[in-house]
Amino acid sequence: MKRISATSTLGLAALALAWAGAAGAAETIKIGVNEPLTGAVAASGNYVTDGARIAADEINAKGGLLGKKVELVIDDNKSNPTEAVAVAEKLIVRDKVPVMMGAWSSTYTLAVMPKLMEYGVPMVVETSSSGKITVSGNPWIFRISPTSEMEARAFSGLADKFGIKKADFLVVNNDWGRGAGAAFAKMLKGKGIAVGVTETMDAGAQDLSAQLAKIKASGADTVFLTTGVEQITLVLKQAKALGIKARIITTGGSSAPNQLIAQAGSAANGSYHILFFAPWFPQSAPNPGVAQHFVDEWNKRGLNFAGLTEGFRGYDGIMTIAAGIRAAGKAEPDAIRKALWGVHVKGVNGNISFIKQGPAGKESGQNVPNVYVVEIKGGKVILPKL
Amino acid sequence: MSRALGLAWLALLVTLPAWMDDPYCLHVLIVTGIFVIAAMSLNLLLGYTGQLSLGHVAFFGIGAYTSALLSLGFDLDVGGGRTLLVGPHPVWLAMLGGVAVAGLFGWVIGRLSFKVRGAYFVIVTISFAEVVRLVALNWIDLTQGPMALNAIPPLSVSIPGLWELTFYKKVPNYYVVLAVAAFSYLIIRRLVRSRAGRAMVALKENEPLAASVGIDVTHYLVVAAVVSAAMAGAAGVLYAHYVRIIDPDVFLFIYTVTMVIMVITGGKGTLAGPVVGGLVFGIVPEVLRELAAPEVQWIVYGALMILIVFFLPRGIVPAVTGLWARITARPPLVERRPAE
Amino acid sequence: MGELLQHVVNALILGGTYALLGIGLTLIFGIMGVVNFTHGELYTFGAYMMVLFAMVLGVNFFVALGLAIVLGVAMGAAVEIALLRPMRGADIDTTMLVMIGAWIIMQNSEQWVWSGVAKSVSSPFPDEPLVIGPVSLSWLRLFVMGAAIALIVGAHLFIHRSRLGKAMRATFQDRDTAALMGVDIDAVHTATFALGSGLAAAAGALLGPVFVVTPTMGNLAALKAFAIVILGGLGNFTGAALGGFILAFVEELGAGYISSGYRDTMGFMLIILVLLFKPTGLFARAERIG
Repeated sequence: MKRISATSTLGLAALALAWAGAAGAAETIKIGVNEPLTGAVAASGNYVTDGARIAADEINAKGGLLGKKVELVIDDNKSNPTEAVAVAEKLIVRDKVPVMMGAWSSTYTLAVMPKLMEYGVPMVVETSSSGKITVSGNPWIFRISPTSEMEARAFSGLADKFGIKKADFLVVNNDWGRGAGAAFAKMLKGKGIAVGVTETMDAGAQDLSAQLAKIKASGADTVFLTTGVEQITLVLKQAKALGIKARIITTGGSSAPNQLIAQAGSAANGSYHILFFAPWFPQSAPNPGVAQHFVDEWNKRGLNFAGLTEGFRGYDGIMTIAAGIRAAGKAEPDAIRKALWGVHVKGVNGNISFIKQGPAGKESGQNVPNVYVVEIKGGKVILPKL
Repeated sequence: MSRALGLAWLALLVTLPAWMDDPYCLHVLIVTGIFVIAAMSLNLLLGYTGQLSLGHVAFFGIGAYTSALLSLGFDLDVGGGRTLLVGPHPVWLAMLGGVAVAGLFGWVIGRLSFKVRGAYFVIVTISFAEVVRLVALNWIDLTQGPMALNAIPPLSVSIPGLWELTFYKKVPNYYVVLAVAAFSYLIIRRLVRSRAGRAMVALKENEPLAASVGIDVTHYLVVAAVVSAAMAGAAGVLYAHYVRIIDPDVFLFIYTVTMVIMVITGGKGTLAGPVVGGLVFGIVPEVLRELAAPEVQWIVYGALMILIVFFLPRGIVPAVTGLWARITARPPLVERRPAE
Repeated sequence: MGELLQHVVNALILGGTYALLGIGLTLIFGIMGVVNFTHGELYTFGAYMMVLFAMVLGVNFFVALGLAIVLGVAMGAAVEIALLRPMRGADIDTTMLVMIGAWIIMQNSEQWVWSGVAKSVSSPFPDEPLVIGPVSLSWLRLFVMGAAIALIVGAHLFIHRSRLGKAMRATFQDRDTAALMGVDIDAVHTATFALGSGLAAAAGALLGPVFVVTPTMGNLAALKAFAIVILGGLGNFTGAALGGFILAFVEELGAGYISSGYRDTMGFMLIILVLLFKPTGLFARAERIG
């Protein structure tokens, strides 16, 4: 019975702590950042967040937004959709952010979307590629990254130049991988190119020899690979070890080719990568000044060069949000939402603006970005000669 | 006196939304409450019958997935070109289904424990949880695998066709969790103080002796396992309909470890232990979020666990109780055996 | 046919490292009666030591390997002396909880120090595989298999030829009698834990360069080690060695012909089946240790 008094005391203390911890706010404009900083796709999440920080610092150096400093509230969704939802809830309810950016993988973004509807907070989607995101009638979503369909369409011309006769797919087992596999398969079939096997892999799987053995036996000349950079490294190494001769083309833009060269060594040679920013050739970007400036700032901070291919997403995302806040005139979710429809941002990838997508009356915003293809040859990244 | 304290404590919790309306605070308390229910259920197996079931999160997750699937409806290709079609069910019915299925698996584990004991039992239970996780991850047709089960309907009660009350907001969810927690507490208290409870403790203390005195060891183990699993399943059900999304990571071993930490540090084999442990380990991480990186926090919890096992082997609650008893200079009600 | 051969070769190579993991754990489990939750963490530790020496400090690959193993042994001894020795008389639950606490501390320390981003270890072996007919063998993996077998043989010799090894076997057979006979049980326990941990670290150091190194890589490895221990029987050296290969075969063939997604499930299904039908392990008749 004395136990209950023990419970009371401790419980009260715990509650008091919680109450104290929940208090407190400062006079800044907060932007939420919901990214995977640990877990299976941590490399990418960290690159995107680094890019976001560069953008925020640049804005603050120029005087901030609406007279106040920009504060990024960065939270780790641990490469997990349930955690992404918890992070979104925390950012909205506890930190009271009027807008956020996230959540990297299509699965996490799809998971977060109901929360955006529930609380009425807009989110700029910087990486996710599943078509479902912008057509499910969620007016709080604004995506600057391309859908897998757009990627496949942009690649369509190159399929002929590569001379692909039969292609296999090796994709990560989630909305992103499966969506990309489906979109590219549809595009290939539309051109009369044969599709071989489609193998999936768990995001955290390290031993892919079983899938690769099947791909080797299928006789395809090309393998489309869609997954995070850590797993691409594993696939390249293991494919080489198994003596697979098919050319590997990665999709999704998260392949960080320099990281592949560093970690997979010569196994990376001969692979092709679809990207949305080519930091080796910033002058060929639609806004060369912005691109060069971003690359310089990234290098000045001593960040890993390999991360530029993804870091720009965070940069463009925050810049887009900033433009929305400026146009809205206040840091208020619905005002920002309305304002985002009218923004024109000169981003690293290109010019960013939103078109309507999805069911009438509940459209989401979608940007039409640029797509690049590079090749790794002799330990270097080059523009392929096709 | 203790009755009054208990009621005062309850009153505090019941009136809490009135004086603390920060929705994030409520959110933390709701999730903590769910974990407390799970910890209490683990305490029944771990603390009272002495079975180290380290696969406990499996029941939590099974309850969650079952309830979610029943309330969402699903179709399953059962081979031979036929499909099993299960339509969406009212949430309260789905919840009962979740609890029942979890309890069923508890029965299976309970029967298994008759065959293997000690370290082998630990390994079997861990393996069981891992298998369930891998099945949830790979059986995409049913569980959506890593794509997660999304848009799970919120908690609601209904009379079919007549009336429905849905709990969208935090405050009603808080009360539902509080009610289930209180109810679970009472069930465990009842069970522990009954003949069955005494038999379970006898089982933990000295199994061969208990058996020789005529206590049906298997029977009581199974009872404990079923109740424990069903309760963990109930916690899982609440989780599924509050968070409204679940993915196979809910079966990760780390969540079992969290529950174990709550029970052990709070005090296994005591009624209040898992409650205290649950509150502490549910709320402290939130408070510390600003101050320390999550890895550092976990290192502290690990160290805390080791220290408690070394110095306070029966947990916080018995230690504080003992201290309180010494301070008030009254002998403890029951002679406790000295700590090992 | 070519595919089958490739799967068989893959399984053989993987089996060696699995065997290392399993033998380490079965020794600890058998001689000390401890459910060692830190086994997976020693595996991870070995891998991170490779990252530290071979990648960060630029030490020669093979020297780094040796260092990683030696440090694994040292870490194991440290854990035993600091955490297990004071717990000597306690019941199995309490010891298990201490091990869980140690596991949490080790895994989160690794994550804190190295961050969650995966790390790669480059090896001096050529990337071009050795091709024999339809089968491709990577040089690195061949080396790993060779090293694993060498370590297994070495451990076996140690247990059978050295004094300490004999003391370990005696303790396993009958602890009290061994103590009466003058065996220093404390030393035996420390040595056993250190040896088991060293083998786990070796497995991690060997597999780190094959895959990538992450803070959570030990979780699955630990669970597989448990599976192997169950397969082979508690404390059964040869059983664990064979169990490692059996698990690798079941996984590889299951993943290749049934479903690649369920690869890891095979091991656990095996455990459950074995425990239900032959709890003493598949090789119960084989000699108890060694």
